[in-house]
Amino acid sequence: MLYKILIVDDEAPVRDLFEDLLKEEDCHTVACASGEEALELIKKDNFDVVLLDIKLPGMSGLEALKHIRDLNNSLPVVMITGFGYDDDLIARSKQFSCSGYIGKNMPVAQIIVTLKQFIKNAKEKGCAQ
Amino acid sequence: MVTDIKEKLPDLIENAAVAVLYLDHNGSILFCNKKAESVAGVNRVEIIGKNWLAVLFKGASSIMIKEMFKAVMEDSMGYKRAKDFQCHMSSAEGSSRLISWSINPIFNKNNQTTEGCILFGHDITEIEEREASLKNIDDSLKNIFSIIKEYTLYVINLDAKITYFGMGGEAMLGWSKSDIIFKHASILHDTNDAASNLDFILQQARLFGKYETETKLVAKNKEVIPVVLTVNHFLDPTGKLTGYVFIAKDMTEKKKLENQIFQAEKLVALGQLSAGMAHEINNPLFVISGRLEMLKNEKLSQKVKDNLALIEGQTDRIRKLVDRILQFSRKSTPVLEEINVNQAIDNVLPLVHYNKLPQAKIEIKKSFEENMPQIKGDLHQLQEVFLNILINAYQSMPTGGTINIVTSNFKNLYAQIQITDMGMGIPEDSLKDIFMPFFSTKSDGTGLGLSICQNIIKNHNGIIELESQINKGSTFTIKLPFI
Repeated sequence: MLYKILIVDDEAPVRDLFEDLLKEEDCHTVACASGEEALELIKKDNFDVVLLDIKLPGMSGLEALKHIRDLNNSLPVVMITGFGYDDDLIARSKQFSCSGYIGKNMPVAQIIVTLKQFIKNAKEKGCAQ
Repeated sequence: MVTDIKEKLPDLIENAAVAVLYLDHNGSILFCNKKAESVAGVNRVEIIGKNWLAVLFKGASSIMIKEMFKAVMEDSMGYKRAKDFQCHMSSAEGSSRLISWSINPIFNKNNQTTEGCILFGHDITEIEEREASLKNIDDSLKNIFSIIKEYTLYVINLDAKITYFGMGGEAMLGWSKSDIIFKHASILHDTNDAASNLDFILQQARLFGKYETETKLVAKNKEVIPVVLTVNHFLDPTGKLTGYVFIAKDMTEKKKLENQIFQAEKLVALGQLSAGMAHEINNPLFVISGRLEMLKNEKLSQKVKDNLALIEGQTDRIRKLVDRILQFSRKSTPVLEEINVNQAIDNVLPLVHYNKLPQAKIEIKKSFEENMPQIKGDLHQLQEVFLNILINAYQSMPTGGTINIVTSNFKNLYAQIQITDMGMGIPEDSLKDIFMPFFSTKSDGTGLGLSICQNIIKNHNGIIELESQINKGSTFTIKLPFI
């Protein structure tokens, strides 16, 4: 098993897809539907990477990112969104030092490659620390 | 009583507000009152017994006065009439006063011949000044009225015949005064518009004294002009109603502006709606494409694979459309940098070929302004505009042709870019909608390309326009202000 990944998305089919895709890449995945749940999981467990949806009910993805940064400054978090590449959203994600940004509007093959690259980068960076 | 007045008379004359001179037959001054001394700036001791013309009037006017005096004295026709003249005099205070004099002959009681004359002089300096200034105001008003182009003023009499037509009337409605004076006012009123109905307007004006309404007037060329019309009673000096005064304010520009704001608001609403919708579509679409991608790794029959490929192709089409919608709705502020427009276009040209375009032979002719100042803009966004227009130009010429790209520097104010094709052109009735989102003349177009272009150019404080003629081609003109 290469990496342990936390997937945060309120839509079950999206969560399941990410889990299945990443399992094929030999990753161990944990999934949850809200920012609040994600924070609890991060407190309890060690993850290599977090995939965090921006539009979440209750605590938004950006708020969750901010809280994650309070808990752990070096945990790689990749933001994912159905809004595509929005300059404003990217800027705000960067403000809380997200590790990457993926629009769900990208071709899936490209998303998988990008995701793997992000995870690899994040992990290497994490190891170096 | 009579003796009373006779006693007082010399005093009254002496202190009268009118200048009084009494002359004998030869023009020697016999009497001069206080006012005459003051307006002529003389002392009576020095002038009594002297010839009035010599001591009071010098210069060119004296000849005319002399002739007039002579005519009154000789009275060869026996008219026995007074004569008037006006002249400027240097008063005792040193100022120049305009005096209106009348020469009144005095007759010998026996043989009715003139034995002398009495002159009355009125100081009309102020009256004259007031008249001059009134004339001045009148001229200025005429001038001001001629400048006002967006107001028409007209007056009708009680028979609804136009008795005055002015201000911006000619400019606004095209009617000249001679076209319209004494015509019935219904010539100006749109019969198709209830609010423009003359009888109704006059009824309201009659009842309320003043009536204001938003309505339309008819121009000479039958064009209907939106106006705000104010109608007031027109009264003569005794207060009798003689007609109505109409003031019409041209609302064409305001209506245009309102329409633009309405369109802009519509676009914002559409943008918000589209963004929300696109997000909702993106999620399930992502799941569908993801699952498809995973299926690719399975061992499947050729038939299933073919079908999957078809599904993938169609999902990708939806994905691209949603992407375009998101792009349209996004309010991305331009990332400003200094840009050379010529270079930006040159960089885009090779990209055109990456897009699936007809194989026809298309030639690109460039005529670039050498002395082109830099503009401030978002290179990425502007190149998207150029690319979009060039792709449109290619697509409009399936059998080949030429695309002309001309850049120019307009008075160091803005860069002008014109991209002209010789393609099929856009029908006239579609031209007004061409920048509207989801409007497309192509069967496979999303109708968002040009509206995105327009948004980008607007965000750069620029202008994008299209001229087009069916089967002759289209010209896109983009104007981008220099820094």
